[in-house]
Amino acid sequence: MLNNYPLLTIVIFIPLAACLLLLPLWSRASIAKPVAFGIAAVELVLAGWLYFSWQSLAGAPARLPGYLLLEDASWIPSFGIRYTLGLDGISLLMVMLTSFTFCGALAVSWNSIKERVVLFLTLMLIMEAGIMGVFLSLDLALFYLFWEIMLIPMFFLIGVWGHGRKIYSTIKFFLFTMFGSLLMLLAIIALHLLHAAQSGVVTFALHDLLHTQLPFNTQLWLFAAFFLAFAIKFPLFPLHTWLPDAHTDAPTAGSVVLAGLLLKTGSYGLIRFGYPLFPLAAQAFTPLFYTLALIGIFYASLVAFAQEDMKRLIAYSSIGHMGYVAIGIAAWDPVALSGSILQMANHGVTTGALFCLIGMLDERAHTRDIAAFGGLWGKIPLWSFFFLIFSLTSMGLPGLNSFVGEFLILAGTIKQSPLVVVLSFIGIILPLIYMVRLVQEVLFQKERQTLVLLDLDLREIAILAVLLLLDIWVGVHPAPLLDMIHLPVQLLIGGAP
Amino acid sequence: MTSSDMLALMPLMVLVGGSVLVLLAGAIKPGGYLYWLAGVLILAAMIWCLLIPVDAVMPGLAITSFSRFFELFLNSAGLIALLLASAYNRRRGITGEEYPATILFALAGMGVACAATDLLMIFLGLEAFTFAFYILVAIKRDSANGGEAGLKYLLNGTLSAAILAMGMALVYAAGGTIKLAELASASGAQEPIFLAGGCLILLGIAFKLSLVPAHLWTADVYQGAPAPVTALLSTASKGASLVALLLLLPLLAGWNGLHNILWLLALLSMLAGNLAALVQKNLKRMLAWSSVGQMGYIALALVAAPAGGSRASVFYMVIYVAAGLGAFGTISVLSDENERETVEDYRGMGYSNPLAGASLAVAMFSLAGIPPAAGFMAKFAVFSAALRGGEFTLALVGILSALVAVFFYLRVVVSLYMKPQAVPLETTRKPNSAEIVALLVPVIVIVILGIYPEPLLELLEKIMI
Repeated sequence: MLNNYPLLTIVIFIPLAACLLLLPLWSRASIAKPVAFGIAAVELVLAGWLYFSWQSLAGAPARLPGYLLLEDASWIPSFGIRYTLGLDGISLLMVMLTSFTFCGALAVSWNSIKERVVLFLTLMLIMEAGIMGVFLSLDLALFYLFWEIMLIPMFFLIGVWGHGRKIYSTIKFFLFTMFGSLLMLLAIIALHLLHAAQSGVVTFALHDLLHTQLPFNTQLWLFAAFFLAFAIKFPLFPLHTWLPDAHTDAPTAGSVVLAGLLLKTGSYGLIRFGYPLFPLAAQAFTPLFYTLALIGIFYASLVAFAQEDMKRLIAYSSIGHMGYVAIGIAAWDPVALSGSILQMANHGVTTGALFCLIGMLDERAHTRDIAAFGGLWGKIPLWSFFFLIFSLTSMGLPGLNSFVGEFLILAGTIKQSPLVVVLSFIGIILPLIYMVRLVQEVLFQKERQTLVLLDLDLREIAILAVLLLLDIWVGVHPAPLLDMIHLPVQLLIGGAP
Repeated sequence: MTSSDMLALMPLMVLVGGSVLVLLAGAIKPGGYLYWLAGVLILAAMIWCLLIPVDAVMPGLAITSFSRFFELFLNSAGLIALLLASAYNRRRGITGEEYPATILFALAGMGVACAATDLLMIFLGLEAFTFAFYILVAIKRDSANGGEAGLKYLLNGTLSAAILAMGMALVYAAGGTIKLAELASASGAQEPIFLAGGCLILLGIAFKLSLVPAHLWTADVYQGAPAPVTALLSTASKGASLVALLLLLPLLAGWNGLHNILWLLALLSMLAGNLAALVQKNLKRMLAWSSVGQMGYIALALVAAPAGGSRASVFYMVIYVAAGLGAFGTISVLSDENERETVEDYRGMGYSNPLAGASLAVAMFSLAGIPPAAGFMAKFAVFSAALRGGEFTLALVGILSALVAVFFYLRVVVSLYMKPQAVPLETTRKPNSAEIVALLVPVIVIVILGIYPEPLLELLEKIMI
């Protein structure tokens, strides 16, 4: 019965349609804000509803194994492009994360965005649509389209509402991502043509292209292009240099979306497209993938230790955390992959929360310099409490969500490559060092400057409390989420889903 | 000439007759109404094309769905340029009836070039509209830049005309006929004289398309000409030249050197155009160099013509024209007594003049090939054709130069939206209704073709046999 409505299309296009709704409110920010937030909330409700009904959806016969919902329509037959959307457990988790993150990002920037508010809201909604599209597309050309569409709002977000060297950062962000994407576009077209030459069917549909027989060398080249595009988004060492700049100069909402979602599109793309399409090449890339991920973990942690800007520190920690996601994907083992997917969501929530916290502090103190703070535990206890908890999560404290993800990743990888696991265990210690330093200096050291700071207000407490509850829920009882991604993961590992 | 021939030729006759009519009317009573008169005439020609689609084959001309499509397409570009000019010329003190009359004449020339079936008609059509542009480029007589641009265009243009004529003469000498269809199937098509003629023809058209190495006039002329003239010169004239090239290419189809020449033209244009645009500070010069690069992508499509590249090249051209009109349209709308020169002069314009800013930004995203702007679909079509034709190296160079291009296109967007205002809000003028239409149409075309290009693709499939 749910299948009768084009639910996935609705999920993608509600935010776009809402942009039209915002047009007449162009100069009335006070009305536009609740409207935009309401739309984001509707998306959250939709995602929640999908979550609570996924088991009944899974019971219905599916056109593609593992998929809960599928939509398919002709779009540009001249190019062989179809409008194909599909929702499986992995996409559902990502859709939930997206809708949740956008609610949070809009709530956290309620007061901090003061100029060109409606433009900001419009861009946020367009970006939400784009990201939803990325997580739902099953046609490579459609996927690429959404993949690019989500860049433009982020480009404006950093460039218009950012701070510091915002123009430099936003152009760097855009060019880095475009570089990978354009090569991936060539690879997508090439794959499409190879498939057409082989089978006579002109299509970009993922599940047709999966059956293409490719010689190893061709696979290698095509996978390299895909890998580059996804590795830049990930970001893997040494392609990560755009990330600290973009994060540091972005407004809080931009950082939250960047860390929470844009990075995930890279890992998602690799899981959904890169590995299944080119299994042999992916296997050949595994040692390289492991190495880059491990270098990333160590390097990012060391650099994070040296940072003076809190936001930059968290940005570098992001690279480290995503390194574990990378290891889990590289292992291509059911347990490790489940861990990676779960960790994608965890990292989104935890790092998002940390960026929110730093944004809130920045709004009050107008600086993010670690050296400016000290003794905040006594001055703004609520903020400090949340900061401590989320820092502990980030360090992987058992009982909180990151622990579950990292544990699964390492437990799964140990079968494939014990050496990598040993090295990453050492890597797990490193976040402890820089996070402890951060917490110690900011929260517990003696006050270094007299700053008059107000503690969190109700709106901020509400955002953080929800995030914290999520952290604890996933940390204590991840089974429902793991159930949800179990079948898709099995299908991915077993070959063609 | 039968009556159905008359019906088919009517749009061209309306344009030619209208051109004379506007000149006469201007002699009796000069004024701004002449722009409206010319606009109505163009519109009438377009409506005729749409409502009375009669095919006719005459000596030298064939009115088919192919030529009608381009007639419609080029006339709509001309109409938009005319709308832009009506307000722009008033502001900059360009008066006189010669402006609208010359535009009509240029459009008639383009129509002839698109419908030609022999060498002479192609030459006539191409040179007719180039001749019109000699006048238009230098129409602001008291401007030093305009004069310089006019002279440069005239010298380069006559040179290219001479080369084109020489090439046609050689082809005629070797082939013994000027009819394109007979020449294409002629047995003497591999003779050195024929090939030399063919190459000279290619070079002559490369001038009009500003393909490297025949591109040197582009930046100076684009910069010096009034913005609405550049809008037409960089779009419709390129479109008509592409059609002429498509008509002429079958002559050399059997010769494998053609592939290498086009290959080189594409490679050099993509690289030189995009790299040179990178260092330009003046917006019009930047757009001029970028159009050299854009023409490189069209040449790339033509290299892969056997693999369906011709359709891709026309598709690319339609979208390029929309973006070019949007970009130069914004420049003309935002100009006062003088035009804004550098990219930095457009700081903050995205907020003080939202429509013009958005139009320029959309045009930039389209030229950069970033979805959902139509430029992405255009690049998609070209690169699919190139890969299908096995042009892997060229496609790779093309995609990397497209990345370079993203940088300078973004600089304009950055200037529009991310830098503090250059002019205080009060002094900015609102665009009038003609300008609003002229800005909106390209934006709408870009967005619609970016999301749903299927109808245009199917139409092109049908008309290009």
